[in-house]
Amino acid sequence: MSGWRLAWTIGRRELDWRFRGLRLLFFSLLIGVAALAAVGSLAAAMERGLAERGSVILGGDVEFARSARLATAKERTLFASTGRVAESIVMTSTAVTGDRSIPVQLKAVDGAYPLYGALRLADRRTVGAPPSGEAWIDPALAARVPLGSTFRLGTATFRVGGVIADEPDRLGEGFSLGPVVMVARRDLPATGLMQPGSLFEIRYRIATAATPQSLIDRTTAAFPAGGWETKTRDNAAPGAGRFLSRMAEFLTLIVLTALVIAGIGIANAVASFLRARQATIATLKVLGAESGLVRRIYALQLVWVAGLATIGGLGIGMLAVPLVSRAAAGVLPIALDTKVAPGPLFLAAGFGLLTALAAAAFPLARAATVPAAGLLRGSVDARRTPLAQGLPWLAVPAALILALALGSATRPLLTAYYLGAVAAVLVLLAGLGLLVRWAAATVPRPKSPFLRLALAGLHRPGAGTVGLVVALGIGLTMFVQIAAVRSSFDANLARNIPERAPAFFALDVPRDRADDFRATVRSASPSAEVQLVPLLRGIITGYGATNVADLDEIPDGAWALRGERGLTYAETLPPGSSLTEGRWWPRGYRGPPLVSVDDRLREALGLKLGDELRFILYGVERRARIASFRRIDWDTLGFNFVLVLSPNALADVPHNMSATIGLPDGADAAVREAIAGRFPSTSLVPVRDVLEQVGEVAAGVSVAIAWAASAAILAGIAVLAGTTSAMREARTYDGVVLRVLGATRGQLLRLQALEFLLLAALVTIVALGLGLVGAWLIITMLFDFAWEPDPWLVAGTVAAGLIVVLLVGLAGSLPTLAARPSRALRTL
Amino acid sequence: MSETMTDMMIHARNVTLTLGSGEGATDILRGIDLDVARGERLAILGASGSGKSSLMAVLSGLERATSGEVTIVGEDFTGLDEDRLAQARRGRIGIVLQAFHLLPTMTALENVAVPMELAAMSAPFVAARAELEAVGLGHRLDHYPAQLSGGEQQRVAIARALGTRPALLFADEPTGNLDAVTGAVIMDLLFERCDATGSTLVVITHEPGLAARCNRVIELADGLLVADRAA
Repeated sequence: MSGWRLAWTIGRRELDWRFRGLRLLFFSLLIGVAALAAVGSLAAAMERGLAERGSVILGGDVEFARSARLATAKERTLFASTGRVAESIVMTSTAVTGDRSIPVQLKAVDGAYPLYGALRLADRRTVGAPPSGEAWIDPALAARVPLGSTFRLGTATFRVGGVIADEPDRLGEGFSLGPVVMVARRDLPATGLMQPGSLFEIRYRIATAATPQSLIDRTTAAFPAGGWETKTRDNAAPGAGRFLSRMAEFLTLIVLTALVIAGIGIANAVASFLRARQATIATLKVLGAESGLVRRIYALQLVWVAGLATIGGLGIGMLAVPLVSRAAAGVLPIALDTKVAPGPLFLAAGFGLLTALAAAAFPLARAATVPAAGLLRGSVDARRTPLAQGLPWLAVPAALILALALGSATRPLLTAYYLGAVAAVLVLLAGLGLLVRWAAATVPRPKSPFLRLALAGLHRPGAGTVGLVVALGIGLTMFVQIAAVRSSFDANLARNIPERAPAFFALDVPRDRADDFRATVRSASPSAEVQLVPLLRGIITGYGATNVADLDEIPDGAWALRGERGLTYAETLPPGSSLTEGRWWPRGYRGPPLVSVDDRLREALGLKLGDELRFILYGVERRARIASFRRIDWDTLGFNFVLVLSPNALADVPHNMSATIGLPDGADAAVREAIAGRFPSTSLVPVRDVLEQVGEVAAGVSVAIAWAASAAILAGIAVLAGTTSAMREARTYDGVVLRVLGATRGQLLRLQALEFLLLAALVTIVALGLGLVGAWLIITMLFDFAWEPDPWLVAGTVAAGLIVVLLVGLAGSLPTLAARPSRALRTL
Repeated sequence: MSETMTDMMIHARNVTLTLGSGEGATDILRGIDLDVARGERLAILGASGSGKSSLMAVLSGLERATSGEVTIVGEDFTGLDEDRLAQARRGRIGIVLQAFHLLPTMTALENVAVPMELAAMSAPFVAARAELEAVGLGHRLDHYPAQLSGGEQQRVAIARALGTRPALLFADEPTGNLDAVTGAVIMDLLFERCDATGSTLVVITHEPGLAARCNRVIELADGLLVADRAA
C-alpha cells in the first residue's frame, strides 16, 4: 500500500465524522468560500449580462456622440452606408406644469428608436418614438404629472401619452439629473431648447453587420476633427462595468483578508484538534507509523474536511446568482446571466483550500513530532516545531494565495499594496503578541493568585496569546478605523454642505441675458447669491507631445481625459481655487490662448508650465499653453472646472452660461417660478436632488463598508473562538484544581475576564494607533478631506468592541467552568 | 552475524539516556548492559523513577539512547532516527501499555489491524479477526474502546501487539490499571499468547506474582542495573 493510500485508509478510519474539533475549520471555510464565490459569481453574472446585452444597453452596435453639433451631411452619409441609424438628442431640461417646474432628462428619439430591445410602457404596449405632441415619461415623474395631463418643455406643450416600464438603453445613458421624458425628435425644434450654445448631446447609434471598431476607424479617418465620442456594444456602459469590476475586486480583497484572519483561528483550532489527538499519534507511532505517515494521515483528514467545506461553500455561492436575480429583479439595472461561471468558483475554492493548508502547516509539522515514548511517561506533548519544518508548508500555499490574488486582480499593484499593508499589520500584531508573552513571563509575580494565574495564562506553554493579540488587534483596528473614517466623513460633509451648497444649478442661461437672469432671481429673492459662469463642452485630445488617442490606458487620476468635459473661461481666478504655480493672466489679456489646469491633473499627467494642451470644441481643434496650476476645493459644490481658459481662447464660440443660485430658506418656489416664466429654455436643478443621488451612491458604499467590517469582525470572532477552544484543556485543568481547592465558579469567571481584559487593554492601545493611522491615510490621502474624527464615537466604538471581545471570550470559556472536577481529574 | 547473535533478542552495551540539557539535564540510564535470549521471559523491577520505563523505551525503539550500543532482534538500533526506529519496530516488536492506548475512533478489529497494515501484511482484517478470537473477543469485533471493559481493552491491546507475530513483546505494567482478578486473567492470557506465538517477553511490573512467572528478573535503581537473577 502506498504511503498516501495507507494514510487515507487509517485517516478515514480515525476521522470523527461529526467533525468534532474541526467544526471551526469547516464553518470558517464554508462561509469564506461561499462569500468569495458569491461575490465573484455575481460580478461575473453582471459583467456577462452587460457584455451579452451590450447592443441593447447601448441601443446599437456602435454609438457616435458629441455636444451640440448635429452630424454633417457627409457624416450622415457615412453612418447610413454602414447600417441602420437612430438619432437621439439628450439634455437636462425642466418640465413645467401649473406652478411646478421639475428637472428632467429630455430624450428626443427618431422613428428608428430603439434599434435593439423593446421600449415597453406600463400599459404593456411595446412602442417606438411617441407620436407628435406626446411624451413617454418615467414612473418617477408620473406621480407628479399623471397620464393624460400636459406639461411644458421650453416653449412647447406635451401630453403624457404613456409611462415607461422598460427603457432598454437606460443603463447606457449613465447618470441623469432627473426622470426621463421621451419625445419625438421632430418635436424638439418647437421647444426652443436647441439654441446655439445650448448644452445638449446628440447621439447616432448604428446597427451594423460590420465590426464596431472598423466603423470607428473609418469615421475617425474620414473626419479627424469630428470630435465624436464613441462607444461599442462590447463596452456599452463603461462606467458601470468599471464600477462593478472594482467593487468586486474590493469586496474580494476584504473577504480574502477576513479569510486570512480566520486562517489564524483555523490554525489555532487545528492545533487544538491535533493536541487532542496526541495520544492517538503516539500510539500510532508505537505501532510503527513514522512521522511522515502521521503528517499525511492528518493532512488528508484536514483536506477532506476543508474540501467538503469548500464544496458546500461553492454550492452556496453559486446559489447567490439565481437568488439575487430573483429577489432583486426590479432593482438591478441589468438581467443577471445565471449560467455558472467557473472562474470565480475556481478562485474561491483555491483561496479557501490554500488558506486551510497554510493555517494547518505549523500544527501539522508539530503534530508529527509527538514522541512515541511519551505514552510510557504519561506526557505526550509535541516538541517545539523547527521553523524549517513548518515554513515550506506555510510558504507554498501563502505564495500561491498571493499569486492567485495578483493574477486575478485588474490592478495588481493596488492589490499588492493592500495585501502588503495587511501583512505588515499582521506581523506587527504578532510581534506585539510575542512581546506580551515575554512580558507576562518576565514581570514580577503579583501577590493575588488570580492575577498571577491570569498572567500565567498569557505565557504558559500552549497559550494562544499571539493568535489572540492578532485577532483582537485586527478586530479592534477595524472598529477604530471605521469609526474614525465615518465620523470624519460626516464632519466634513456637515461642515461644508449647508453653508456652501447652493439651492439650484441653472443650465442654459442665454449669454446675452446674464444680467437679466441675475435681476430676475434677485427680484424674487433680494438676498440671493448668483454666480454665472460660461459653460462649454470639449474633449481634451492631447498634451505636450502626447495624443490622448494613442494612450493604451488613461492614467490613474486623469479622469478628465475620458470623454467630454465642461470648459470655461474667466478674467480672474475663480472662487474656491488657489494658485499653486504660475500666474493668472491680466484682465483684458489679448495674447496667445492660455489655460489654468487642476493640480491633480498635473500630477496624473506630469504636466509643466508652458506645456501645450489641445482640445476639440464644436469640431475645431484649439490649443492653449499652460499658464498656471490651481488647487480646487472640490467640496464647495459650485461649478469647478479642471481647465479654465483665458477669455480670448473661447469667447468667440457660441455658448450659454450656467449659474449657481444660493438662496435663503423659503425662497426656492418664488425663484423657480420667476425663472420658469422668463427663461423657458433654462433648466433649474435643485441641489438637494443631486445630493440625494450622491447620497444614494454613498449609502451603497456604506453598505459595502459595513459588509467589509462585519466580515472582518466575524473573522476576528472566529479566531477568538478558535483560540479559546485551543486553550480550553489547560484552563479546564486549572479550573478543576482551583475548584478542588475551594474556588467558586464566579471567581474563575473573574479570572478569565481579568486575563482577557489585561490582553485587550494592551491591544486596544496598539489598535487605536493602527486604526487612526489607517483612517487618517484614507481621509487625507484618498479623499483629500480634513481630519476630523469624533473622539467620543471612536472611544465608544472601542468600548463596544471590548465588550464584544469579552463576551465572546467568556462564552468560549464557559465549558471549562462546567467541567465536573471528579470526572475531569480522572481524564485530564 | 553469529548464531549466538541471531538468537539474542536484546543486546545492549553501556546504554545511557540523558533527558533535558544544560543545567536541567537528568541522567535517567547510566550505563546498562543487558542480553536477552530468544524465548526468555524477563521481568524488570524497580522503584518509581528507577528508569524501568526509560529502559523499555530505549529497548523498544521508542526512545534513542544517548550513548551505547543497542541491537534488537538482529537490528542495530544505534544511531537510527525516530522514523527509522518506527520502521524497525514493525513486525519485530509488539508493545502492550498500562493504559491500553487503543485508538478511540476505531473498532477493536480496526485497532488490531492497524499494525499489520503498517507492516504491509496481506489480509490484515482476517488475521486481526483470528487474533481477537484467540484472546476471546470474537464477539466484540465491532465494538469501540469506550464500549469495552478495562480487561477487554487490554485483551485487544495484547491481540494488537501480537498480531504481526513479533519476535519480542514489551509489556509496561500490563495489569496496573486492572483489578486483581482481571489482572490475573490478563496475565494468564499474556503468557499463553506469548507461548503460542513464540515471542520473547519483557515485562515491567511492580507485581511480585507477575515477576515470579518470568524465568529471569532484573532490578533497576537510580538508572543502574543492580540485580540480575533467575526468578
